[in-house]
Amino acid sequence: MAQPADRPFLRLFVTPSVLVAGGFIASLAVILQYSLRAHIPGELEPGGFSLGNFTDMLKPLYARAFVDTVLICAETAFFTLLLAYPLAFALVRAKSPFLKSLLLVTAVTPLFLGEIVRTYSWIIVLGNTGFVNSVLRGLGLIDQPIQMMFTKFGVVVALVHVTLPVMVIMLSAAISHIDRDYEKAAASLGASPVRTFLTVTLPLSLPGIIAGVTTSFAWTFSAFATPQLIGGGQVSTISTLVYQLGFANFNFPFAAALSFAGLVFTIMVIALLRRAARPLEKMGGHA
Amino acid sequence: MNSLADLPRTTDIAGQPNAAKPAVRIDGVSKAFGDVTALHEAWLAVGRGEFLTLLGPSGCGKTTILNLIAGFLEADSGEIFLDGAPITNDPAHKRQIGIVFQNYALFPHMTVEKNVGYGLRMRGVDKTEIARRVGEALELVKLPGYGGRRPRELSGGQQQRIALARALVIRPKVLLLDEPFSALDKNLRSAMQVELKEIQRSLGVSTVFVTHDQSEALSMSDRIAVMSAGRIRQIAAPGEIYRAPADRFVASFVGDTNIFQATRVSPTSVIVGGFLIDVMPGPLEGTIDGQEVELFARPEELSLTSAGAPGTLPAEVVTKVYQGGYSDFYVTTPLAAERVLVRIHGPAALELWPEGAKIGLVLPKTGANAFPPGE
Amino acid sequence: MKTPLLTWLLRLVVMCVVGFLLLPAVVVFIAGFNDRAILSFPPQSFSLRWFERALTYPDFRHGLRNALIVMVWTSTISIVVGAAFAYALNRYEFRLKHTLEAILMSPLMIPHFTIGLGLLMLGTQMGFARTFGIVVFSHIVIVLPFVIRSVYISMQNLDPRLEKAATSLGAPPWRVLVTIVLPLLAPGLFSGWLFAAILSFNEFTGSLFVTSQATQTLPVAMYNYVREYADPTLAALSTIYIVITATLLTIANLYLGLGKVLNVEQSR
Repeated sequence: MAQPADRPFLRLFVTPSVLVAGGFIASLAVILQYSLRAHIPGELEPGGFSLGNFTDMLKPLYARAFVDTVLICAETAFFTLLLAYPLAFALVRAKSPFLKSLLLVTAVTPLFLGEIVRTYSWIIVLGNTGFVNSVLRGLGLIDQPIQMMFTKFGVVVALVHVTLPVMVIMLSAAISHIDRDYEKAAASLGASPVRTFLTVTLPLSLPGIIAGVTTSFAWTFSAFATPQLIGGGQVSTISTLVYQLGFANFNFPFAAALSFAGLVFTIMVIALLRRAARPLEKMGGHA
Repeated sequence: MNSLADLPRTTDIAGQPNAAKPAVRIDGVSKAFGDVTALHEAWLAVGRGEFLTLLGPSGCGKTTILNLIAGFLEADSGEIFLDGAPITNDPAHKRQIGIVFQNYALFPHMTVEKNVGYGLRMRGVDKTEIARRVGEALELVKLPGYGGRRPRELSGGQQQRIALARALVIRPKVLLLDEPFSALDKNLRSAMQVELKEIQRSLGVSTVFVTHDQSEALSMSDRIAVMSAGRIRQIAAPGEIYRAPADRFVASFVGDTNIFQATRVSPTSVIVGGFLIDVMPGPLEGTIDGQEVELFARPEELSLTSAGAPGTLPAEVVTKVYQGGYSDFYVTTPLAAERVLVRIHGPAALELWPEGAKIGLVLPKTGANAFPPGE
Repeated sequence: MKTPLLTWLLRLVVMCVVGFLLLPAVVVFIAGFNDRAILSFPPQSFSLRWFERALTYPDFRHGLRNALIVMVWTSTISIVVGAAFAYALNRYEFRLKHTLEAILMSPLMIPHFTIGLGLLMLGTQMGFARTFGIVVFSHIVIVLPFVIRSVYISMQNLDPRLEKAATSLGAPPWRVLVTIVLPLLAPGLFSGWLFAAILSFNEFTGSLFVTSQATQTLPVAMYNYVREYADPTLAALSTIYIVITATLLTIANLYLGLGKVLNVEQSR
């Protein structure tokens, strides 16, 4: 243990973050506390101790929301990874600094636009009189608009767009830290570019893939505006249910219980993903 | 008292620390990091004006000593004195110690002038005085007129000079050098070594130099402390370290050496392959006559002659390497487990024997060292 | 050497992905200039009336003001708290260090609706729901991981020997901080501050829970607008948003090197 003299600013520097962490933990504790209390209809104050919120969660409506949420998260993560990898690869390996900057800014800007602007943009793209349908109709390919708003498909497309930037960042970080001598070695040993990629580059970028997929999963789980506006009530996720329970029904205990369950669930899924990825990562064999 | 030359002058002869008031004294200092003991009760005194080198492989504790003197680490036990005053509990910024780091650690956001003047600004020295002393320090390191440059615009050697100037301008009670040459290429390194040594001697500044490079240690030091595994194995002048190493570790770490199976016949002599050889007294204490011991002989103490000549061990040339002014012959002999390195001087030495030749190996009659068999 | 075919294939795929990334922005851009009150493509005639409405709509102006207030407080507090913590995290060992780190970084993974709901209920219990305080606090919790990460990466590139050198030259700890650490950390601090500001300005889900009519920020006002109206006002506003954000990021990239900040530079 280091001596106090080595850490002159310890107290000064750590105390503020302890306060923030304390407030944050307190809020999670309040959620837990509310989730264990009964809802009295028409009252904002919760009733006495009850496990009813958690047993209610087994009702088909909520069970389905859980399953749908997970499916949306999984599909989003998968397609995001598929689209992000080539972009991240090109971004890291681009030779011209201008192209690099261009790709980087393009990839990162959506991250900073916020949920509403991004979601709203997709409403215009996917709507029945929106961009895609208008173009297809203009080309004479369809007569009736394709229904994309208020479908799971629409929600996933918009969510892929939401999580693409963070996936690109995490993949780029991983790819940029791969020593290119490994690839040169593979090539010198007779591996074709495709095999070099599959046997060297891809396994070595696994840590980034795992980080990207878990983050994408967690962010999608957290997304509210996109499923709410593009799903338009036809697609129920945990986030939209929590909002509805809290602000339409004023059933805060149940909203808290659902939030709490969602939190535990997220943590479990992430832990599971990491656990599952561990043997793969070892195979990737970072020296 | 306003110039660098006013630093306390050495009155001691190199190698003879002033016992009364050494520049640095380390009394039984230990330091552990968790379960790992980095330093076992070290005792050390650096004389005024002395150039003392801490030599050892990485992880031997030499950098720990440096950090303890500088105040970047706190000792678990023991006491450290600077000019006779205990500083064990003084914070690092109050110790008046100059340090040159391995990568020089020049502040990248400051000019050379600001870098060199930093320590004086921290002491509240007034501006004109700072300018004067910075100018003087830059003269000293032969870089006058470089004050306006940024560190990244300088070569490695220039950066090192600036780092030296920065450390010296505060008139440190002791100068600490943390492997300062390891980032330089070979030619520049020798030039900088000579120059550093000249500056050190002209200012008479007490210096502790940390290195893992034995040739650097041998060429620059007044005394060397050889360390391994957190312990100081031997403190002595370079010549003594080389000629009379205290133990097997020192013998094999400093300089090249060859090991032969030997038998002790007296405290100061051994027999190798039937030949009696006088050895340095000391290391064989604790062994008995007739015991198996090992003879350590330097490559230049050995010589080669034609096979079967009287007074030689049978040997065979395995490989030879031309080194310019001398040639290295690697030979095998039944009395040594490893290949034996023999260094023959003269530009034409290489031609003497072909690889594979049977030859005779001549051992030194005196001057070699014998140690009890070890790890 | 790569086969040209593969290179071309990669280029094609990358162009498609970039197209996907840009499509909504382009569409919104066009839609913002559409003269008709109903969203449709292609626009029949162009006008700037939706831009005018976006800039004069009272809820947006009010929301903008609130968002800026929250942003300034959030980013300033976050950079101080986050930078101090990142420094301690990188340089010091202390008890519960990794627990504290895990808690502070967890909002990256914890659903924002959980954070928002939790703080709303906490605020209600403690009597400061519906204040700017709770909005700012929720934003701090949400942006702090980004700030900590950004500063921490800069800390990793700051050689501790520079601080040691300054100390050996006689600088007491606070002067080392002011003369060495802060100047060398400035780019990381600035980018951390910028991240915090942009993220706070755009934060929606958490804000939806903790804001009231009085403290409603611009994204919340926009959300309420989408639910009530279908005209292109929001497209105009989004266009302004996109242009400003892209400009800021391009500037940040020029001066700070986003690649370095995001840790995506090729190592060799």
